[in-house]
Amino acid sequence: MPPPTMDDTAAATGHHADMSQSDRPDTLPGDLVTSDREVFANHMALIASMTREFSSSRDSQAVSRHGLERITTFLGAEASSLFLLSDDGRDLYCAACFGPVDVTGMRVPLGQGIVGRAVKRNKTQMVRDARHDPDFGGQDIAEETGFVTRSVLVAPLSLGSERLGAIEIINKAGGDGLFDEHDQTLLEVLAGSAALAIDNFRLTQRLVEQERARHELALAAEIQRSLLPRPTEDAYPVHGINAAARLVSGDFFDIVDCGEEGGRPGTGRIWFAIGDVSGKGMNAAILMTKTASLFRCLCKTVDNPGRLLASINAELCETGSHGMFVTMIAGYLDRETGNVVLANAGHEPPLIVPADGGAMDAVPAEAPPLGIASDIVGPEGYPEHPLHLGDGSLYVFTDGLTEAYTAAEGDAVLGTEGARRLIRRVAALPAADRLREILARVTVPGRPLRDDVTVLLVQGSAAP
Amino acid sequence: MTVDIAARGPATVAALSGEVDLECSPAVRRALLDALRDGRPVIVDLSLVSYIDSSGIASLVEAYQAARKQGTALMLAAVSPAALRVMQLARLDRVFNIRPTVDDALAVLAQ
Repeated sequence: MPPPTMDDTAAATGHHADMSQSDRPDTLPGDLVTSDREVFANHMALIASMTREFSSSRDSQAVSRHGLERITTFLGAEASSLFLLSDDGRDLYCAACFGPVDVTGMRVPLGQGIVGRAVKRNKTQMVRDARHDPDFGGQDIAEETGFVTRSVLVAPLSLGSERLGAIEIINKAGGDGLFDEHDQTLLEVLAGSAALAIDNFRLTQRLVEQERARHELALAAEIQRSLLPRPTEDAYPVHGINAAARLVSGDFFDIVDCGEEGGRPGTGRIWFAIGDVSGKGMNAAILMTKTASLFRCLCKTVDNPGRLLASINAELCETGSHGMFVTMIAGYLDRETGNVVLANAGHEPPLIVPADGGAMDAVPAEAPPLGIASDIVGPEGYPEHPLHLGDGSLYVFTDGLTEAYTAAEGDAVLGTEGARRLIRRVAALPAADRLREILARVTVPGRPLRDDVTVLLVQGSAAP
Repeated sequence: MTVDIAARGPATVAALSGEVDLECSPAVRRALLDALRDGRPVIVDLSLVSYIDSSGIASLVEAYQAARKQGTALMLAAVSPAALRVMQLARLDRVFNIRPTVDDALAVLAQ
């Protein structure tokens, strides 16, 4: 019977490898291969063709199965398998195999079995009779399936010092039934290009995953932005602005208008809140969303900012978050009297800015941030500060403002004094423009913000 | 940023130095939680901290919460002016047990 050629193999398996004029058919070694030169030429043809296949395909499973089949057929062996090192590097799992017994998914601890030994030592293993090898672990397979392993050739897959796995070829047929140096060299060369192909697949996969994560992050950012209140008219007494340093923000602000009339006590109030979650990124953004939702819900039923903050604190402490905490100010403006009541949980002191340009007053925190300990404040809640704004304004901001770089201040950090100067400089502008101008002054073109920046402005009377 | 862990008397002293920010706060967190594992009191020496951001503070808060849960003493000692300013502004001086020196913290433990 004539030996199967590469075309025969392709036809039998449904695979087709693109071959150029110079491609030579794969042939079974043995009697038909008469000279080293011919062996060499056949090996080179197989290497060239498989390397092309490895580098051009995007389906790692198909390539590994088809690749194993071609190597096994070429070497005249009975079975083969591709073992890859698990992510934790503790064991090897069979990613693909060819032959009478399907061992896909089988796991071998690193260093055990002939395959484990090849990977651990990063050295090809050629075994004449596996049954006499002290590391041989295929007895179970022989008992279960009747498939007896005799000769074994295992080449490790590695890139420099990084170990990826190994290719194992089992039971050389024909001749003396043993693998030889030619087989070893061929498998080692193919293992080299297979290692590159596997690395390529992994990099591509990682890129795809990164792209997916980026997309999800963009969606999260969009949802987060939609939670912020819409810009208000200039005549409205409360305004806010937020800019995230990354896609998602650990800062938030909210404005909740309880209506101008109505029977319930507290109507006529405009609630406002600003918060800053420790840290940055997705975990901060999720905690921020939770805190903002709690505020929105509670401000409609709780009458005092101090108690409201205590309720949020209790909720946050119930489910600890790796030490993450929230500095927050919550308060309301009584639109009839122009009075504000606020409570400050460890947040940057807000500034009261008189309309006549007089000295600013800060309202420092008297209690620590939320989410640290539930017994931090008593039943009366966080200390409250009643403020009479008159014609003046209240600026509440996160430390993203005071710690921002600013081109106007010689590229230095703005600082508390810088923030006061900036607020004074924009005082003549309409309310919404003031916030936009403040944000513009701490944004250096072409440079990402150092931290999320959020500013809230509460006006004692609607007049600018 | 470095974290040096040393045994002193009945306590473990964790000395932080340099800038404690988002990048290195996971290492601080691990070091402090590891130090708490054997149940000995932990004193965090902050004398050489030149800068600490909110994620660095969060690592201290997590250690505080873990210590409280297991009933182990955790004290901050010799807090540098940069770190103390951040803590006072956020009123975290009401949360942590802050001692002027490591020796003072050890003396408190000895009582």
